[in-house]
Amino acid sequence: MIALRIGLAALFLMVAVTVQTSVLSNFAVAGVTCDLVLIVVIALALSRGPEWGAITGFTGGLLLDVVPPADHTAGRWALALAIAGYVAGLIRRETSAGPVGPLVVAATVVLGATLSLFIYSATGSLLHDPSVDWGEFGVRLGIAAGYDVVGAIVVIPPVMWVMGRVVAARERRRVLP
Amino acid sequence: MLKDLGSPTARSAFRSAGEAPLRSAGSPGTVRRRRTVLVLVVLACFTLIVLDARRSAGSPVDPVREAAASVFGPLESTASSAKQPVDNLRDRFAEMDRLKAENEKLKRENEKLHQDLNTTDYARNRAAELDRLLKLAPAYAMTPARVIGIGSAQSFNHTVTIDAGTADGVRADMTVLNGDGLVGRVVRATQATATVLLIGDRNSTVGGRLNASMALGFVSGRGEVGGTLDYKLVDLKARPRVGDKIVTWGSSSNAPYVPGVPIGVVTSVTANQGALGSTATVKPYVDPTRIDTVGVVTGPPARTPRTQLKPSTTEGKGS
Repeated sequence: MIALRIGLAALFLMVAVTVQTSVLSNFAVAGVTCDLVLIVVIALALSRGPEWGAITGFTGGLLLDVVPPADHTAGRWALALAIAGYVAGLIRRETSAGPVGPLVVAATVVLGATLSLFIYSATGSLLHDPSVDWGEFGVRLGIAAGYDVVGAIVVIPPVMWVMGRVVAARERRRVLP
Repeated sequence: MLKDLGSPTARSAFRSAGEAPLRSAGSPGTVRRRRTVLVLVVLACFTLIVLDARRSAGSPVDPVREAAASVFGPLESTASSAKQPVDNLRDRFAEMDRLKAENEKLKRENEKLHQDLNTTDYARNRAAELDRLLKLAPAYAMTPARVIGIGSAQSFNHTVTIDAGTADGVRADMTVLNGDGLVGRVVRATQATATVLLIGDRNSTVGGRLNASMALGFVSGRGEVGGTLDYKLVDLKARPRVGDKIVTWGSSSNAPYVPGVPIGVVTSVTANQGALGSTATVKPYVDPTRIDTVGVVTGPPARTPRTQLKPSTTEGKGS
């Protein structure tokens, strides 16, 4: 079961990276594309918790760092998405008394987009990357967050549904009366 | 869709099979494990950043990049073939808008315009682009390539992936252009893909020559989505004029830029604050959001024959 879950997560991430770099860039709004990888990471974190959020965020971000056309220092998106995934997992835990509602999911996506973009830009500034432009940061973050919420409506329910199906029988028995 | 999300059945999708009661307590053990994972992951990220930050000495992450490109390059080219209907759609929408404007003025020509609309074909556009490419730089050996991945504005990178790599003779520091003008240069090439740094990126600087006065200067990117460029002349007293055209002046042994490729046109000139000289804003000929077919200059120009001019021959001709 665990192997199946990890395989599924890896598959989701690979598809997300491919689609984000080559297909979604054609639907860019003012150059900003939908952060599909971030959305998938948040979906996985919401269904499995902070550890999964951190690890899948690291993996997905690392892919974004090394898959062409990336040309920045590797590890920046990895750090940003790992922390965003971890925080998303914590939100899942905080509200775990009841099921996660759509509003909480949307808020998590906006928070994740803000966190990840801020960390990515901040590490760029620390490394003296001249391409980071804080003047443009607000506009791009606004567009990205809005776009991500739209993407999340389409992506998060199926991903969470699939991840919910592959829960180990032992775990399911203990949870469902 | 939103309404569906609110209904109890759809909500259950968010519940992850209700493992909440199982783990919600957060016993000390799980909290400790959770934090360990976070610390390990963050440390791994910092290690990566430190390892990769020094580009000059050859980064240890490069093999990872190569491997990722070899896996994701084919995936990206496959996925971007899904672009064809999208492009047709986009062209179709653009045509529709035009039709509506025309309709108000010339309703009778509607049918003819519809015919135009249907014949607007992706393949034909690409053939036209290739034609223009050949006209622009006839002297160089070119490798045509297609854009299969575009960097997003969130990451502040203005880079694209093309589907030609070392197998096609593409190497780092080669000029990339299309039918309109200069696109950028290759920064990294793998077996089947290459990464191109666009001239609009803040990391990019190109030597540019004013067509009108042959004055030399430097064109640097501003990092804007539209690809607007800044142009500074070497000679501080010279002033570019609005409407001046800028071409590359080329680098030694044609790497990374070959000479004579059009870059853009000056749209405004402002004096530098508190310093000599002036900065011109340049609108590039290439729209960075719409590049599709590009050419990589892979071969040297056919060397122009340079025979010595001897006084005797010129005298002979003259008399």
